[in-house]
Amino acid sequence: MNAFDNFLQGTVTLFSDPINILIFLGGVIGGMLFGAIPGVSMLTLAAILLPFTAHLSAEQGIMLFSVMYCTGVYGGAITAILFNIPGAPENAPTAFDGYPMTKNGQAGKAVGAAVMCSALGGVVSTIIMMAATAPIADWAISAFGPPEIFALVFFGLAVAASVGAKTFWKGWLSILIGLMIAVVGLDPVGGIERYDFDMPYLLAGIHFIPTILGFFAVSEIFVQAEKKVRGSYEAPKLSVDFPSLSELIAHKFAVIRSIVIGFFCGILPGIGATLAAFMGYNEAVRWSKNKEEFGKGKLEGVISSETANNAATGAAMIPLLALGLPGGALTAMMVGVFQMHDMQPGPLVFLTSADLVWVVFAAMFFANCSILLIGFLETKTIINLLRIPFQFLAPLILLLATVGAYAVRGLTIDIIVMFLAGVVGFFLRRSGYSIAGIVLGLILGKIGEQTFAQAMQMLHFEFSGFFDRPIALGLLIAGVLTLGGSIYGAFFKKSAAPPTTGSDTPPPASG
Amino acid sequence: MTLKKYLAGSFASLALITLSSGSAFAAGHSCATDSMPASMDKPGGFPARALTMVVPYGPAGGSGQVAQAMAQAVTELTGVAINRDHKPGGSGTVGMTAYMATPKDGYSVLEHIDDAASAHALDSSRPNPAEDLVPLVTSQITFSQIYIRANETRFNDWESFVEWVTAQNGKATIANVSKEGSMERVTMKFITDATGMQIQQISFDKGAPRYGALAGGQVDALFEQPGDVRNFLDSGKFKPILTILKERPSAFADVPSLTDVALDFDPLFRFRGFYVHKGIPADRLEWLQWAFQKAYCEESYQKFNESKYMTLIESFRDTQGSRDLITTTIGQYRDVYKEMGLEVK
Repeated sequence: MNAFDNFLQGTVTLFSDPINILIFLGGVIGGMLFGAIPGVSMLTLAAILLPFTAHLSAEQGIMLFSVMYCTGVYGGAITAILFNIPGAPENAPTAFDGYPMTKNGQAGKAVGAAVMCSALGGVVSTIIMMAATAPIADWAISAFGPPEIFALVFFGLAVAASVGAKTFWKGWLSILIGLMIAVVGLDPVGGIERYDFDMPYLLAGIHFIPTILGFFAVSEIFVQAEKKVRGSYEAPKLSVDFPSLSELIAHKFAVIRSIVIGFFCGILPGIGATLAAFMGYNEAVRWSKNKEEFGKGKLEGVISSETANNAATGAAMIPLLALGLPGGALTAMMVGVFQMHDMQPGPLVFLTSADLVWVVFAAMFFANCSILLIGFLETKTIINLLRIPFQFLAPLILLLATVGAYAVRGLTIDIIVMFLAGVVGFFLRRSGYSIAGIVLGLILGKIGEQTFAQAMQMLHFEFSGFFDRPIALGLLIAGVLTLGGSIYGAFFKKSAAPPTTGSDTPPPASG
Repeated sequence: MTLKKYLAGSFASLALITLSSGSAFAAGHSCATDSMPASMDKPGGFPARALTMVVPYGPAGGSGQVAQAMAQAVTELTGVAINRDHKPGGSGTVGMTAYMATPKDGYSVLEHIDDAASAHALDSSRPNPAEDLVPLVTSQITFSQIYIRANETRFNDWESFVEWVTAQNGKATIANVSKEGSMERVTMKFITDATGMQIQQISFDKGAPRYGALAGGQVDALFEQPGDVRNFLDSGKFKPILTILKERPSAFADVPSLTDVALDFDPLFRFRGFYVHKGIPADRLEWLQWAFQKAYCEESYQKFNESKYMTLIESFRDTQGSRDLITTTIGQYRDVYKEMGLEVK
């Protein structure tokens, strides 16, 4: 049977059983809801449901988790756009332009673009996944070792250094602050204790989720509260105008670019949708002729971020199913579901449980399609949340964010970190530093430090070893050129210097 | 008593199963706690509410899974619910610290692995799980192996591997979790000292990138426990070339053991178990010991252990057995740390 026949067979199995349909719909709606509620995420739902999957068949359990994965990544975009609160880290770049669009009375357009682009990115990556899981997985693990992943992180940091900062120096200082925070705790390779100040809980490091919640959600509430006190608060304008088809077609290159970036990041174990979204956004800025419009409510910013993060979902299933290598927390929980049914993901799954694989593929395809349908219906209603008066909404958001920060690791210190980040973010927003840069430095810093140390071990502590690995070398050169370009733009080409922006919206990146 | 002698007794008494054979449990083999009473009255109504199990690692890893399986088995046996509270970070330090702050009333249980023993061996201010806590049960003990890709052409067994690695003058690589003082690093020191070969250890703290590094050819070999790479073994992607045990388990009858390749050191083991505070009321302790030890033989838990290759050597230790295992392990680590020049506090 060819792939298309298998897909049809999987579709028939999925929709011929009412229980399967119920589980599918439960996953679609549950993923969207938990993705959309600030402070909790699809991971929270997955952790709650994990023990119960023992009572489902393996097919149903894996299908449920993969459907939640697709719709959960999309769901977090809603709160990022409406309230500047990313539902999950992979939705953080969506807030850069999505929230300014809400302030400009274009919430419907931003959410509509997120719906369509999430669905498109997810559907395309699912189709590629169905067509070529095994060869892509083999290529990815052969071509991308620690040196290549480190080079990719370096390139990402070079591109991102100017996101959201007023000047070149403030951009890089923001990144460096993030990198500094990333080194708190045990070193990921040698296990050396760093900056713990004899506080055992700091050995676990500073987690990026409470940090994101603090920088984005808590500081936004402080900003709005200040405006309320000063009497300058304006409720976001309500609109349900969706983007027109011609507007989306006009961004076709951004969509295609983000699909490629998202898919590529998704197939690398341990990288995933967060880096995909940041890279998708950064590249959109880099290739744009109107860089100065980013951060002020440019539709392309939302499109690039949301296309990339959903394109990563299908891709992340490739190393999981073909090799048994989970790329992130949710796919790691899927391994748990497999194991509860005496199965292991990996090459044997295609031989021994082909039915399961194709039901999962079909479910992911239709889950991404359903984002389009349910997303539009949901959007019409969820935008009305903006009608809730600030004095009622703010405590609710703070409560949910606090629960979300604690839920990550069950540590009180994460709540403290969240509020500290909120206070710091409140002041940083008006000083020209970039909270996006700090968050990116923190997320990429952890990956970058680990892969750099591993790369050095692999290359026998000779940096010249990078020159013998073409992909790593290419990415390092791209990073250096990007850095050179931003230095040139900042110091030698005064007319191209990025303009300053408002206190709570990031100015454009430059490359 | 050395660890070797301690485990030798277990070897003699335990039926080793093969990878393809059916379940030892289902086949009617006896289980370690079959002789314990099938039920036990709750002392003074304890526990009157759900227990909390502090797990110092995430839910998806090996510790998270064993915590889930044991919690399920205890609940099946006693009807008492167990809430798992995952506190990952700091190589188990965060979870241990959080547990030590819980009330000593018997309602909080800790899951931990041999990292707690090695951490105490390196720094005696860290809790000693054998003395500062009471082990309820050790429910998983496993050994390590060295793996290569099944389609590897440069070497195909231990002898040719050592020869090839030696010829590379330190350029060969092996993926493991080579944190300072870890079981992996200590064992690799034993091996490299005995063979004279130099091999660069590449540290991956998460399983997936570690296995991907071998599967994708980024490293030349992998140090791991068989249960963690079972899918790669079953699919024929990885091949074990050395079992780090004195004797060959029948499941790996064609893989040389330490004795076969003239490596003379006592193997270190990965083990996971469950603990409570010292000083909880004696009747509550007795009930918890019964519940966790008896749950070890619940069908669901035995099936779980089999799926993880945890029945190849005896995984069960009661309270005293666990204390012996931990104390011996701490002594072994301390000796090696001193030999390695590490500062033992």
